[in-house]
Amino acid sequence: MTRHGGPAPVFCSIVPPHVLDRLARHGDPALARPARRTLERDALERTRRRLTTVVGATPLAARPGAEAGKPHRTIYDARHGTELPGHKVRGESDEPTADATVNRAHAGLGATFDLYLKAYGRDSIDGSGLPLDATVHYDEDYNNAFWNGEQMVFGDGDGEIFLDFTLPVDVIGHELTHGVTQHTANLAYFGQSGALNESLSDVFGSLIKQYTLGQTAAEADWLIGAGLLAPRVTGTALRSMKDPGTAYDDDVLGKDPQPGTMEDYVHTGSDNGGVHINSGIPNHAFYLAATALGGHAWERAGQIWYDVLTGGELHEDALFADFATLTVSAARERYGAGKELQAVSKAWEQVGVRTL
Amino acid sequence: MRIQVRRTGGFAGIERRAEVDTSGRPDAGEWRALAERALAGGRDRPPSGVPDGFGYRITVDGTTVYCADPRLTEAQRELVSRVLKEGA
Repeated sequence: MTRHGGPAPVFCSIVPPHVLDRLARHGDPALARPARRTLERDALERTRRRLTTVVGATPLAARPGAEAGKPHRTIYDARHGTELPGHKVRGESDEPTADATVNRAHAGLGATFDLYLKAYGRDSIDGSGLPLDATVHYDEDYNNAFWNGEQMVFGDGDGEIFLDFTLPVDVIGHELTHGVTQHTANLAYFGQSGALNESLSDVFGSLIKQYTLGQTAAEADWLIGAGLLAPRVTGTALRSMKDPGTAYDDDVLGKDPQPGTMEDYVHTGSDNGGVHINSGIPNHAFYLAATALGGHAWERAGQIWYDVLTGGELHEDALFADFATLTVSAARERYGAGKELQAVSKAWEQVGVRTL
Repeated sequence: MRIQVRRTGGFAGIERRAEVDTSGRPDAGEWRALAERALAGGRDRPPSGVPDGFGYRITVDGTTVYCADPRLTEAQRELVSRVLKEGA
């Protein structure tokens, strides 16, 4: 991160955030636009204030020609090749195309952008309006989606085990959140820090789905990749935050290997030290905290997790206990010694992660 | 010639392994050439890769190399997809 010695401008918002939030959703752009801008600036300043104490202020990266608070999406088609980004097929202001995959990617990027902006005041994945690029139809029968450090890449699936990776909006949110993590805590993609990196992508991926559907914690399915498995596969999704280890049990895929508590932590060298396996433990802790609090999970539980991810105190090589401890502090800092603090502490205790 | 491929990671985090024994196959020469080209571009240790990217381990008659998406050579991409598709 670039260090910058200059003092950060003091910024205080007078209008309460929940009022601004309602205004930001108003049908009249004359009302909505300024409110949205304020919300965003407010949260940006709040985040920067916290960061400043740890790493020093970073300069605001102004992006020429880009309007703040709006997504700048570009969808590319790899046409079943592996050259990135591929051929541009839809820009931000373009009409929908005849290709449903392209339109789903476009909508999913928009949904992700919306949650980060409206719930957390974050303007795109870097907080400074970074353009969102995604490539669809990558390779042939490609059973995967990934974040390459600059953009999202989606395969079509082989139709046998996996369907199109743009189908579940939580998968799109998951990939983009890898970008957010890269621009904030930058958790090393190995072992426990890697599992935390994965878990944050699952948490915010699920929250994006819940936000899009307007669901409460009690209504949400807490599944990652529901609708991604081909009909012949015995399973409902790839991961379950509610009940890790139960998402699938299939002849070809095997059984969902995710543990839900530290007691069943998997020590392995493959999958970067089990980043997609042990993420079940922090995933389940988030589920427990969010359902204990009730209501919209992105509001309090999500806010606490977001505070930790972007707060500047989470180290690149953080362990589960480090992350858990920071969520407890963040809950106390934001909500005082109330039920949020209690729900978060209890959630980690239930999954066997000790907080200090 | 025995060609083994292990693929780990990916969004699903599901491991896949497959191998092809080329002895007696009419296209053994073609496999050999492809395998040699794939090994030439490989690394001694798993590269760090990208979040959710697949990581591959390719073993050809006891020689092992690693590579990871999206930075595979043409030969590596062709070899891993053929072995995972045709291999047992």
